Amino acid sequence: AIVRPSGPNAILVSPRQKGNPVLTNIKSVPWEYSDTPADYVLGATTCAMFLSLKYHRLHPEYIYSRIKQITGKFNLRVLLAMVDIDNHEDPLRELAKTSLVNNFTLILAWSAKEAARYLEAYKALEHAAPTAIRGQQAATYAERMTEFVTVPRGINKTDAMALVSAFGSIRAAVNARKEEVATVQGWGEIKVKRWYDSVREPFRVEG
Amino acid sequence: MGSESAKAPKIKLSLPLEYQQDLFTELRAEDGLVVLARGLGSLRIVTNLLHSYDVAGNNLIVIVGADERENAWIGEALAEHAAISRSPLARGLTQVNTDFSNVSARDKAYGQGGIFSITSRILIVDLLSKLLNPELITGLIVLHAEKVVATSTEAFIVRCYRQNNKTGFLKAFSDNPESLASGFNPLAATLRNLFLRKPSLWPRYHATVAKSLEGQKKAEVIEFDVPMTSNMRDIQNAILECVEVSISELRRSGTGIELDDWTIESALHRNFDVIIRRQLDPVWHRTNFKTRQIVSDLVVLRSMLNALLTYDAVSFHKYMEIILASHQPPPGSSRQNQSPWLYLDAANIIFDTTKRRVYTGKPQVSTNGNQIEPSLHPVLEEQPKWALLTEVLDEIERDAYLNPTIRDDSNGTILIMCSSNSVCKQVREYLQTKDVKAATGPDVDSTGDDKEGPSAAYMMRRKLRDYLMWKKNFSKANMALINENKKALEGFTDQATAAAIYKSRAPPNKRRRVRGGSAVAANDRNGTDPPIPLSTDKSANVTQLMDNIQITAEEAQQKEEIVVDELIDMEDFFELYQMEDLLVVHPFDGDMDDQILEEVRPRYIIMYEADAAFIRRIEVYRSSHNDRNIRIYFMYYGTSVEEQRYLSVVRKEKDAFTKLIKERGSMSLTITHEADLLDPQEQFLRTVNTRIAGGGRLTATAKPPLIVVDVREFSSSLPSLLHGRSIRIIPAMLTVADYVLSPTICIERKSVTDLIQSFRNGRLFNQAETMLQHYKSPMLLIEFDQNKSFTLDKFADSTSTATISSTSQDIQSKIVMLTIAFPRLKIIWSSSPYQTAEIFEELKKNQDEPDPLRAVEIGLEAGNNPGEQSFNQTPQDMLRAVPGITSKNLSRITLEIKDMQELSNLPQQQLDELVGKQIGGQIHKFFNKNVIEDED
Repeated sequence: AIVRPSGPNAILVSPRQKGNPVLTNIKSVPWEYSDTPADYVLGATTCAMFLSLKYHRLHPEYIYSRIKQITGKFNLRVLLAMVDIDNHEDPLRELAKTSLVNNFTLILAWSAKEAARYLEAYKALEHAAPTAIRGQQAATYAERMTEFVTVPRGINKTDAMALVSAFGSIRAAVNARKEEVATVQGWGEIKVKRWYDSVREPFRVEG
Repeated sequence: MGSESAKAPKIKLSLPLEYQQDLFTELRAEDGLVVLARGLGSLRIVTNLLHSYDVAGNNLIVIVGADERENAWIGEALAEHAAISRSPLARGLTQVNTDFSNVSARDKAYGQGGIFSITSRILIVDLLSKLLNPELITGLIVLHAEKVVATSTEAFIVRCYRQNNKTGFLKAFSDNPESLASGFNPLAATLRNLFLRKPSLWPRYHATVAKSLEGQKKAEVIEFDVPMTSNMRDIQNAILECVEVSISELRRSGTGIELDDWTIESALHRNFDVIIRRQLDPVWHRTNFKTRQIVSDLVVLRSMLNALLTYDAVSFHKYMEIILASHQPPPGSSRQNQSPWLYLDAANIIFDTTKRRVYTGKPQVSTNGNQIEPSLHPVLEEQPKWALLTEVLDEIERDAYLNPTIRDDSNGTILIMCSSNSVCKQVREYLQTKDVKAATGPDVDSTGDDKEGPSAAYMMRRKLRDYLMWKKNFSKANMALINENKKALEGFTDQATAAAIYKSRAPPNKRRRVRGGSAVAANDRNGTDPPIPLSTDKSANVTQLMDNIQITAEEAQQKEEIVVDELIDMEDFFELYQMEDLLVVHPFDGDMDDQILEEVRPRYIIMYEADAAFIRRIEVYRSSHNDRNIRIYFMYYGTSVEEQRYLSVVRKEKDAFTKLIKERGSMSLTITHEADLLDPQEQFLRTVNTRIAGGGRLTATAKPPLIVVDVREFSSSLPSLLHGRSIRIIPAMLTVADYVLSPTICIERKSVTDLIQSFRNGRLFNQAETMLQHYKSPMLLIEFDQNKSFTLDKFADSTSTATISSTSQDIQSKIVMLTIAFPRLKIIWSSSPYQTAEIFEELKKNQDEPDPLRAVEIGLEAGNNPGEQSFNQTPQDMLRAVPGITSKNLSRITLEIKDMQELSNLPQQQLDELVGKQIGGQIHKFFNKNVIEDED
């Protein structure tokens, strides 16, 4: 393998992966070959094994022998499986079971590009706080209002705008009677009923 | 009238027509699937059938799939029948829906027997938990049988019922042959799902039906083809052009939708947006922003087509302004994210013509180069149907005056049928005010015949006044909303300047170019540019316009229009007025219309809008009552969406029946699915533990495998499929996870759309957190749809390569984040619910069975009743959209506050006590911010 100065920001790739088209698609994160039991080392406690389902079908024992080699070392062990066959049901069922037994996390990719994207993301987000998935709210009143009003099915942006500008405030819209809401342009009976019921439906299901 | 059934108790039925009686006897004799053409009164058959069972007493009959109105109708009809035949044993209908959620009360009600209409989700849970023992059910009536597909809850219910109960009756009804006939061998599939053998098809052209309806006297029908005004036609054509362009844009986006057979005619069809949405559905999660935008544009365009015909000119103009405003781009966004149709000349025509139907002015170029309109004056185009309606009413009056002699059983009432409540309201208002003389101001304009005779001028002038008032508020609201966007964009420092610009009105050349320089943008009359032209630089003109339509003395005498729909007090009207001079305006309401006809007994019916089913209802009504004369006026706009829709509905129904009849002809009649249904042998083999190898003794485990399923999951198809694989399903109220497979394994199921949604609002993060707290092996199941493509990969188009570098926004990055945050969380990928069921089975091998009681207790806070922990989804999601709401105060609010209405009305102080001062303030402001009055 070519020896390059290793940085903490690079993905470490096992020489076994040489020739894998995934490598040519890793672009936004540096990577280098390194002697590691896993296929890819993506962080201090994260590693990934790569498995093409086409290969798996021919050599079903391969992945199990590889998994054995990386026991104990990593906290998060990803099995990056590439779905490159049509009859994926059986192998995927098997892998689901195996991931439970052997404690790794199964990630599916459908192209070399997508697989590379996952590897990049694991490296790039290694130290990121999970804020993006903890739920963020829209910044402005208009967006928030729209988000709020459009929760019941079938109510769209236009309806939200019409509703609030007709009643002035959300509170007035919430308290409006059915007949009043029905006078707003674009609000047919179904929408009116959904809105009316949604704001009056109890938060909790009564026991 | 009435055909007597053989049984002992006296039954009075109300089935006067031959086909109805045939159908009834057939249904009493054997089980079957009845497909009846719309308008032939399938509910009437159902209620008579139910009554015949009800009279006998001592039975438990369950109705599946009835909606709210049908329940009301069935309940009423049963009570009426019971009263007429004076049967002491009849118990009427009991409804079980979400309001009836108390388990013990349900238990008691089931014990008493009777006729129940039960919401599918509750019914399946009760059947599985044996709260409602399937063996005790006398029979099942399935309404809307077209909805029973293999994976539906209704199919699950029928299977559950048939497994445990081979003797009870089972009858299914559908009056929607179109959706029943879609797909390959649809009839056989539906029959199989329903465990039925015999289809019974009743199109309008069925010999007996035709004979029954075309017998002695036919109803007199007078048809009017009303031409649209040239303005309306222009608008309709322009909208259609927009639709066409949007669709070709869709084609170009490479989503592979097939619209080879696309014609303008199909655009006029009711559901073109739905059809396209359905075509895109398999790849929906991979479509890009633009595609979605166009699909939502199509929905808007279709509603415009509809509104053009139903709204009056002023309301339509108002609606168009709202649409335009809500499609305004947020400041700083590029043309890329705009709706393409807004750039078309056609869009310009739409907005322009719409306005011209309301008021006009001669544009002049004033000295400073600003385009101003010196004299606006109202045009107020009337809907062509109004004048015709007046004519028809006059004719009826003359007719009634000249031929007063016919004394028959019908009242002299005139019934006007419209498509919706809002049209009813419009017609009612028109009729009330058409004889009020409108102002004869300085501008005697194109309202035309203002000599004498009725016109809608008064109503339209009032509407225009309302509109101008509204417009002022709307501009304010609009500005408040957009201003804020702008502020957010420009950041805190620029705020002052921005505000200054707005206060001093932007100079003309500084106006944002809203729609990329299209002609629409130049036409600032539409009030879309933030420097609201109408309320500022044109205010003088508006005042003038306002003066033009000032209230005149005659007008002032009229009382203000009331908003509340008087139909609620319909019963009162019947007592107060003589039926002779009553004029009833009513919307089409499915099977409920039969009742209207029976109660009103009209001599004249005016169909203000076309409806194929209602014509049949009149036929049925007419044939059922020999002694009632009836005349029908039937009007529609020629070469309009309305006409096309009417014709295509009729054609489609006919095609559907033809297809079904053909299939029935070629169907093999020996469907023996009931025989192999859960062969006891097979059931035994399933439980055999095959782990004991080498010919050791076979030991059967005591019970089939077991999975605890959250009750909310029963709206999905997975429980049904698991059950189909002979897994025992225990429904339970789960606080943590959706499925519990073993004491250590729990699973949260997410469809791809759910996944995206719950990443966005953070729900999945919390769910993962609690699952990890309580289970050793929590798993996230990402389930793709059966018919959708099994991939998360985006289309390989140019835009997606551009966005791929922006991290943490696409779904892949979010999955990565989730697994980094929770290394112990496993992910299962499944291409369909079928596959999921297999995976579950695999995962359960060699695992202990879960303990349902323990599963329910997990995650409950001490002392909490399990019932209190379950939430209604929609209000919960709405609550999450309120600013300041976090997962912590969310549960506090749901415990303390009843519903959204109560929350919105809480005073600031109480909110502060509940969630703290800062968040309390946020919530209070969110609800109370007034976009009309607020200055900021």
